[in-house]
Amino acid sequence: MLSFVNGTPVSLEAIPTLASDEFKSIFTAEDFERDRKRVLALWKLPDGRLACVLGNPATHKLEVGATLATTYQPLRDEVPALHRFEAELRGEENLRPFMPLKGEAAHEVAVGPVHAGVIEPGHFRFQCMGETVHYLEIALGYQHRGVEKLMVEAKSDARRMALAETVAGDTSVAASLACARALQLPHAPVPLLNLALELERIANHVGDLGALAGDVAYLPTASFCGRIRGEYLNMTAELCGNRFGRGMDRAPMPSDETRTHLREWFLRTGKELFHATGLLFSEGSAIERFEGTGRVDAATARRIGLVGMAGRASGLAVDSRVDFPLEGEQTTVPLCGEEEMKGDVLARAGQRQLELLVAHARVRRLLSGAGAKTSDETPRKRAPRTLTVAVVEAWRGELVHLAVTGDSASTIAQYKIFDPSYHNWFGLAQALRGEQISNFPICNKSFNLSYCGVDR
Amino acid sequence: MILKSILARFKQGYRTGTFPTKTGPKLPPAFKGRPKLDATLTAGELAKAAEACPCSGCLAMRDGVASLDMGRCTFCGRCAEVCSKIQFTKEYRLAVFDRKDLIVKAGEGEYTPPANPKAGEVKFLKRSFQLREVSAGGCGACELDFNVLGTLAWDLGRFGMKVVASPRHADAVYVTGPVSKNMALALEKTHAAMAEPKFVIAAGACAISGGLYAGSEDVEDGTAKTLPEPDLFIPGCPPHPSTALEALLRFVGRSSC
Repeated sequence: MLSFVNGTPVSLEAIPTLASDEFKSIFTAEDFERDRKRVLALWKLPDGRLACVLGNPATHKLEVGATLATTYQPLRDEVPALHRFEAELRGEENLRPFMPLKGEAAHEVAVGPVHAGVIEPGHFRFQCMGETVHYLEIALGYQHRGVEKLMVEAKSDARRMALAETVAGDTSVAASLACARALQLPHAPVPLLNLALELERIANHVGDLGALAGDVAYLPTASFCGRIRGEYLNMTAELCGNRFGRGMDRAPMPSDETRTHLREWFLRTGKELFHATGLLFSEGSAIERFEGTGRVDAATARRIGLVGMAGRASGLAVDSRVDFPLEGEQTTVPLCGEEEMKGDVLARAGQRQLELLVAHARVRRLLSGAGAKTSDETPRKRAPRTLTVAVVEAWRGELVHLAVTGDSASTIAQYKIFDPSYHNWFGLAQALRGEQISNFPICNKSFNLSYCGVDR
Repeated sequence: MILKSILARFKQGYRTGTFPTKTGPKLPPAFKGRPKLDATLTAGELAKAAEACPCSGCLAMRDGVASLDMGRCTFCGRCAEVCSKIQFTKEYRLAVFDRKDLIVKAGEGEYTPPANPKAGEVKFLKRSFQLREVSAGGCGACELDFNVLGTLAWDLGRFGMKVVASPRHADAVYVTGPVSKNMALALEKTHAAMAEPKFVIAAGACAISGGLYAGSEDVEDGTAKTLPEPDLFIPGCPPHPSTALEALLRFVGRSSC
């Protein structure tokens, strides 16, 4: 395997081609478990080889290796974390027949694709025995727009950046950063970037804690958080003009005056926020509904490859900012999963609260700091026939963008996106096993995965 | 418990915004609203600006006049960065009732938002307007910022407007997203299940024209191929909540609660 730093290009020729057995041993070797390595991508390169990118927290680097597609043996039985990647390699359709449960008391509940509220489309098929969900299948193809293909066909990098921002609307900032690094393009100055990333994280966690409260009919937190989330979106708009942080790559560093104004606004909103979420966490009847519900234990989470916030809530220490940091994205405060994290709805809600506290401390620091560099001055150059993998810790977890350049550096031969949801949707299905079907909404909100982020 | 909730309500205060009843919207300093094209904008300058544009066909010469199609525009501002004759104003009242009105021509004078030509037909919606939202291949941003109208900061309910869970209860379908091929049937069925009279609202560049995704073989380039011509177009990527709220109010002919 070839080792490289997150966000730096590697020559296609330098990617070693491993024999079938060697390739398999990547996942079964002792160091895979010991070093807590994880699979970030498995896909077919334009030259026909199968390539795999691993993250290695022990070396703080990424690793890449390839094998011949013709001799590849599926490994999902040994390494369940690979199952989603292998399904894609097989060309399996996202919209496919469901596996029915048979038996006298068995019945099926079908939901979607049009949601009853205002949410993206997806289809959920619950196979139930009475009130209990035996298993859940999730179909996501309704959001398929062909983003990866458009990224290759795009005539300019400006169009690629614009597309990246709209892969998943709630993750625009993280996605534009991942795209910029994968394509070796400039982005916003680091302090502004970190500020925008944290505001994105905060806005989403606030919205989801409010939604969780709403789903157990605890309306004070639901109403307050709905409003407070908007404050953070407006702060983002203060930086770049757009509530979702679009165009952040071209935004100027905020002036001292703007920063002072934002700081005041942020501190005031923070007080209101922690009052609102504090209400939820001190409300016994709400917590009682979260506790023990939708549990994914640490061993299962590790096997199926949960990432990000949901992984940490299951007790996994997974945070790409600590494990294999991208330049400018380091954090001194790891959001590592604690062993006592139980992987239930309460743990995911608690993890969000914890991340809100950490993000708040970080934004306060960023807003107090003096104006640093005014632009992203790190020189980057795209070279022909290279692979660049960029991993960014988005609010849901690690977001992977990878680009393969063609015979000239300006052409993009391949572009792949692996949203954190790509790994975590199966975690939601897992959380529902043996659970009451009426607990689906809180399980779903506790993950809040992206439908469009998985544009397959 | 109930006392705690009442106290919390006092602590958080009354937070519904004053827009549109008493004041205009609070927009960020860098807000990009209705574009304005200088009368002297030449075909050459326009072509140069179009190179910077991430959409196709947004900036073009139409009938010999330089123009910008708000139905395609993502309001990213890249064209204005390379061409000083294109500006984005603070005008947030972007919605129109005719697709043609989304074309902003060079040298246009003072702008006044059009009134709904179907005012008589929609009079009955003034006090009760029920919407069914269908997200058809969107990135979720249009959906999120439409959802925001339901929070207490905007309180859509005070205008008699509500999002309903069934097309049977809806007066209009509010479509977001470029209509992915995989969602076209669901969208068509949703519209078919609605009772007459029914209206179509296309919100966001994607639903109007396909936006950034126009031309992708996996999308239908907006609602045009699946539904009748929309009765209301709300441009933006995504439309700002005040743009969307003002659009809905103008559609039913209301100015406040």
